[in-house]
Amino acid sequence: MNPLIVGLIAAALPLSAAAQVENYNIDPQHTFPHFELEHLGFAILRGRFDKTAGKFTIDRAAKTGALEVVVQTASVTTGDNDRDGRPRTRDEHLRAPDFFNVAEFPTMTFRSTAVKFVGDNPNAVEGNLTLLGVTKPVALKIERWKCGPDTVRTQGKRFMCGGNATGSFKRTDFGMKFGAPAVVGDEVKLWISFYGFRQ
Amino acid sequence: MEEFLANPAVQGGLAPFLTAFIVAVALSPMRLGGLAVIAAFLVCMHFVTGIQFTPLTATRKILILAIAAAAIGPLLDFALTPTRIGVALIAAGAAGGTLWAFWPVILQKPAMQAWLFGGSAAVALAFMVGFAQAQLAGDGIRVGAAALALGLGTGIAAIFAGSLSYGLYGIALGAGAGGFLLPQMIRGEKAAAGATFTVPAILIGGLVAVGAMLLAQLPWYCVLVLALVPVAVRLPGPGKAPVWLQAVVFSLYGFVIAGVACALAWPSS
Repeated sequence: MNPLIVGLIAAALPLSAAAQVENYNIDPQHTFPHFELEHLGFAILRGRFDKTAGKFTIDRAAKTGALEVVVQTASVTTGDNDRDGRPRTRDEHLRAPDFFNVAEFPTMTFRSTAVKFVGDNPNAVEGNLTLLGVTKPVALKIERWKCGPDTVRTQGKRFMCGGNATGSFKRTDFGMKFGAPAVVGDEVKLWISFYGFRQ
Repeated sequence: MEEFLANPAVQGGLAPFLTAFIVAVALSPMRLGGLAVIAAFLVCMHFVTGIQFTPLTATRKILILAIAAAAIGPLLDFALTPTRIGVALIAAGAAGGTLWAFWPVILQKPAMQAWLFGGSAAVALAFMVGFAQAQLAGDGIRVGAAALALGLGTGIAAIFAGSLSYGLYGIALGAGAGGFLLPQMIRGEKAAAGATFTVPAILIGGLVAVGAMLLAQLPWYCVLVLALVPVAVRLPGPGKAPVWLQAVVFSLYGFVIAGVACALAWPSS
């Protein structure tokens, strides 16, 4: 084969490979990490973070991907935001050093280390969660995943992927020891709804 | 037993008090009874968040500063002659330590808040520690009363500010001061406090108050009010009355100021 043709093919290969990688920005208006944990040994208490940003990439051909999420810890809410005669609400308490310590650690991040596929779809994400300055591995299972044009809001002009992911971790592993486990349980279960728009 | 030890009243009150009482009784003959207060604080920290040094958060820097102060205190009492320059250096050290502990948090604030909070913190700590060392360290009852009122006032104000853990640290300081005062009240004679008690006790109280301001929602002016607790305890009192009565009266002086700080810490809406 002509060396020039070989060279051109070799030069074009990375471009074709790069073309397989899809980049997505997380939709902050429809992406919410929810959490639940035991409260006083009686009920399960649920809450969520209202401000999340990030991006993910998928290479369907190579079955690889990457995910990076940044959560604003001050956006935590459990629905208790009315003082109602008390000095502080539960949500204010969650922002204090006892729990998320938002003045010192305004964000928590998740960065993937591996994305596992089943068929053409990502099925699980392994990564590192950084919370309160401590980084530990956390695995997320993708329970629902769908990609396609956004026909409702953009008449199909915008391509998106969305779904749900779940996971769990022990908060004491990250140094969040206050009231654990008697007052507020140690195991935190995550349930995340997410959307991403292709760039 | 686990449930008992998980009770906040045990973690911030009973356990620190008993520990401080035992340490005060055991070490008083060696003029080291003042270490009662650091023992009480460490016990509370152990129960509430665990004694760890990484990652180096503001709370863990408070722990380091408290331990350092407890090491420096006896050194000042036994190896150095008290001088005005020495007091000034202690005050400057307290301000510097405070800024070191909270610098990453202060930097995240808008410029005006950073100056206000950082300035309040440094001035309050320098004044409290310097004043207490100069004016109260020689009187085991007055400085014990100051630490009792400062600890309880800071603790309650921190709870109002939204942090139960900082509330427990403050209350543990108060409990530790109580454990230091009680043997004096029972025996009817004042114990040596010196820098061994004064520097760590007032430093911890001030740092917990600043932490509640920067990390929770304690208003900055509450920290300045709490800084006046040592001044209130220095006011004239029944100096020739029985020791237990002096302890009660001087504590009441401190409680008045601490009470004002707590009232100001209660949010208006």
